[in-house]
Amino acid sequence: MAEAAGGGFSAMKVVGIGVPLVYSLTFFAAPLVFLVVLGFWLVEDFQVVPAFSLENYLDIAQHMFAKSNYALAIVQSLWVSLSTAFFAVLACYPMVLAIVYVAPRSRHRLLLMLAVAPFWSSYVLRLFSWQILLANKGIINSGLAWAGFENLQFHLLYTQIATRIGLIHYLAPILIVVLYVTVANIDRDLIQAARDLGATRWQAFRRVILPMSRTGLLVSASFAAIVSFGDVLSGALLGGGVGSSVLGSVPLFSNMIMSEYASSTNLPRTSALAMILVLVMVLMLAGGAALAERGKVDVG
Amino acid sequence: MASAIRPLDPLAADGRWWRTAGRLYMAVGYFFLVLPIVTMIVFSFQKGQFASIPGQGWTLQWYGKLFADGTLLEALRNSLIVSPLAATGACVLGFLAAYSIHRFRFWGRGAFSVLLVLPVLIPPLILGVAFLGLLSRIGLQGQLLSVILTHMVIVTAPAMAVIQLRLGQMPSSLEEAAWDLGATEFQTLYKVVLPFALPGIAGGWLLAFTFSFDEFIVAWFVSGFEQTLPVAVYAYIVGSVDPSLNAVGSIVFALSMLSLIGVELLLFPILLSQYRSADS
Repeated sequence: MAEAAGGGFSAMKVVGIGVPLVYSLTFFAAPLVFLVVLGFWLVEDFQVVPAFSLENYLDIAQHMFAKSNYALAIVQSLWVSLSTAFFAVLACYPMVLAIVYVAPRSRHRLLLMLAVAPFWSSYVLRLFSWQILLANKGIINSGLAWAGFENLQFHLLYTQIATRIGLIHYLAPILIVVLYVTVANIDRDLIQAARDLGATRWQAFRRVILPMSRTGLLVSASFAAIVSFGDVLSGALLGGGVGSSVLGSVPLFSNMIMSEYASSTNLPRTSALAMILVLVMVLMLAGGAALAERGKVDVG
Repeated sequence: MASAIRPLDPLAADGRWWRTAGRLYMAVGYFFLVLPIVTMIVFSFQKGQFASIPGQGWTLQWYGKLFADGTLLEALRNSLIVSPLAATGACVLGFLAAYSIHRFRFWGRGAFSVLLVLPVLIPPLILGVAFLGLLSRIGLQGQLLSVILTHMVIVTAPAMAVIQLRLGQMPSSLEEAAWDLGATEFQTLYKVVLPFALPGIAGGWLLAFTFSFDEFIVAWFVSGFEQTLPVAVYAYIVGSVDPSLNAVGSIVFALSMLSLIGVELLLFPILLSQYRSADS
């Protein structure tokens, strides 16, 4: 037994580690490394040619504040993804509190299954469904008019509000599961103790449940922000590409990358834009982590 | 929901108002969650190109149009080639990796598992550009094979996670007994470990299949003219308003409900069960 379980080289070990490792290096690590390299290559006569040139980056830098206006698109992306993350968590957290503390425990599994159900239908098709719901003469508006609310009409489609609705609907099942795991694991005796000691329901929430949900809230908020920042579908189909927001009709950066590639098929330049997206995302995460760290110091 | 007052529930002891608010909020939340799905199913049977209320009568014409047209059906066929193969490949890689991590101690074991999980943490948009960059250098872009190879990278992590959970439930005495009785490494794997891991592999397969079946942006970059279903649907939506999409959506939803039932039967028992005793 010791021999079989121990170290040394066995055929099994070589295959078991080797095959996934080689696959992962070839089709995952290599493309990512190549993405960095490709950003410095050029396109000549519709052919990608190896080079070491900063032209892509210099050109993007020139258009940062002019013409394509990448900077504005990046700000739009940050604004939409951060606010989406905020509202997604704000909407899902009470939902999870209601499941955990209001619904009887025997129903939890059913309620979770129901919450996850939308995740198993196609995302693109759900967005189409939101399109016909939110359209100016769509189901919601025509339904409102039919019910006698002719004056209550929403013009949401092709705005970044619609983008956020699509994203929140996409994120909600995942966030609900993550937050459920957090909240369901909070020891009920602690809440009972707080209540016995005279805390009101609100105080028990504020002083016990909320601090203990902290990690779950942070994890789900950063997850929501990353997914929203990298998503192209909701911005394209519900935001209409150049959805309006308080910043004006500006596309999301992710949509800009996609539509630039679709129109130019200039892969080196697209790679350079993708690298910038990675950079902004890393900065966003680092900023978030720093804020979370500071919040921790404040509380403790 | 008869609300028997249970003194053990600290937040529910006397908070009728809170309970009502909680129920109301849940009702609104679930309404929001199912709204687009119900819309899709209802309006796939509704006359009138532009969906509105009140309805314009029932019809099967959109299903008829869908089957007569064929572009979306062909994309569905492509997806039904790509996703099962990608899921199967992901399960092979996921099982090998999960088993190695479970069985062996080796240098770089931590880095090895991080490497395999990493693809789900990187935005698919980035992966799509990166995959296309490399594949187009080696002439592998624009085929169903390119989608299969790249989807395998993305869906290995979820498949592996489920298989790892299952392997974690395997008592080590099971393998030891097989070795003691003279089974070779391979025989042990084939006759003992694999049968035990099978529910995990099946659950992982379904999860991988679902992720691959719904994946858009990577397929958009690498598939070229061999569109998978989400890519074709996207092109369709951008081009026109066509309730046939509701028909596709309803069919796809029916398919995924089947896989959801499969997941419910295979995945949840694994996720919820505790460490099994040796006799299982």
